[in-house]
Amino acid sequence: MQPTSSMKEEFLKKWQMGIQICGPSIDNTSVSERKKVIKLSADVAMASLRKGTTCWSRALIQKTATEDNSLVRQMLSGIKAETLINKTLPKKTLCHRKIVRRSKKILMRRNARSASEEAAAKAKKLVKRKTQGLRSVVPGGEFMNNDVLLIQETLDYIVSLQTQVNVMRSIVDATEAGIER
Amino acid sequence: MMMDGATEADLFLHCTDMSVLERQRAHLNYHHPGLDSTLAGFFSDSSMIHAGGFLGTAGLEFPVIYGETTMESESRLSISPEKITPASFGSGNFKKRKFDSVVTETKDLDEKKKKKKMRNREEVEVEVEEEEKSKITEQNNESTKSIMKMNKKSRKEQNDCSNGSSKVTKEMQKSDYIHVRARRGQATDSHSIAERARREKISERMKFLQDLVPGCDKITGKAGMLDEIINYVQSLQRQVEFLSMKLAAVSPRMDFDIDEFFAKEVVSAPVTNLANNVTPSHEMVNCCYPHEMVNSGYLHFNPMQQHQNCQAPSMWDSDVQNLYSSLGV
Repeated sequence: MQPTSSMKEEFLKKWQMGIQICGPSIDNTSVSERKKVIKLSADVAMASLRKGTTCWSRALIQKTATEDNSLVRQMLSGIKAETLINKTLPKKTLCHRKIVRRSKKILMRRNARSASEEAAAKAKKLVKRKTQGLRSVVPGGEFMNNDVLLIQETLDYIVSLQTQVNVMRSIVDATEAGIER
Repeated sequence: MMMDGATEADLFLHCTDMSVLERQRAHLNYHHPGLDSTLAGFFSDSSMIHAGGFLGTAGLEFPVIYGETTMESESRLSISPEKITPASFGSGNFKKRKFDSVVTETKDLDEKKKKKKMRNREEVEVEVEEEEKSKITEQNNESTKSIMKMNKKSRKEQNDCSNGSSKVTKEMQKSDYIHVRARRGQATDSHSIAERARREKISERMKFLQDLVPGCDKITGKAGMLDEIINYVQSLQRQVEFLSMKLAAVSPRMDFDIDEFFAKEVVSAPVTNLANNVTPSHEMVNCCYPHEMVNSGYLHFNPMQQHQNCQAPSMWDSDVQNLYSSLGV
């Protein structure tokens, strides 16, 4: 599942559109401002590749919309921007921490385990912690309470990120080559 | 033929199975109309028994329920009248069942039971329909078998046969939706099967991830793999951050011609016409980011090292320095 050229092309077009939309307004701004715009437009372009079918893209669009709403709206004009921005993500499962802890204690007391079981439990805990880490890394990951869904979305996110990085790097390389000559 | 051998309670217990048999015979007649004559030959003594005559006797004995029984029998006959009447056998069974119900139940209880029976019959019909769809030939064989056995007038065998046919339908229904197979020693209740299916799904996806993430194929264990995936995703995110910053620094006016660039990118040739917009100060920035850093798969860049490599840090744009610290690397 390597990033395909059609994906790259689409991403590049969207990104270019985003930069052109806010091109004239940031001509004379600082580097950090410019960087922010480039990053935002690249993110939105990447997220709009999926047209809101994946959880992470929706979360990313929502996140970028809080930073620069008008840009996102203009970039997503082809798609229904409103529905994407205001689309409700799957609800986060909330549970009271104290209650969870107490129930865990009771469970621990109930089954005193052997050494091998202890090791297995530790490994399980480690995997759980790592999964939580992955949730925090993937946009919108905290809404995916399903492990299968999380891994699927991570797959998709990684492919899109690879596309983004590939295109951006080739552009940077090209501009650098231009500078050198 | 009607009352021989079997007790009333026994018959009553198997009333649903009887209806299965009836249906089977109906189907048989439907598919093989030629068998009718043989049937008639088998049961020439009993086939002439008329439903009306029997009902007449039943009505004489239990005048209160007479109307109801006729009603139900009519409704039953109306479903497939031509099929059931030649096979007087089935209708005879049915009559007997009615008779039993009449004996054992009071009037309002009988009504309740009727509803229940209707429901049962519906279920049986569904079963038989499924059977008909998939295994017509087998069913025909079985029904002919059952006919032969009934010809011997042995009740037990008939019941066994009908039970067997219903078993077949149940097994077929089961085989429709169970796809996960338990190996030896594995639990077979629905929860553990679902859990196993879920785990299989996850491991399958993890294999895809292993192919996608470089250096992940050597790692065994879910925790290590997740670790590697997190690292990779973070490095990609950082790369995006870094590249966007670099672009911002390189082309300040951001009107580079992507269309032209893309046309050449397909051929994978570097583009040269972007140099016009570049201000001279950015060459300094460029020298601060070594080229191999961009090209390396992982981008764990180290600011301290950068400072050492940089010959003239004082010449940096203050902007760029701010950016560097804001990256938080």
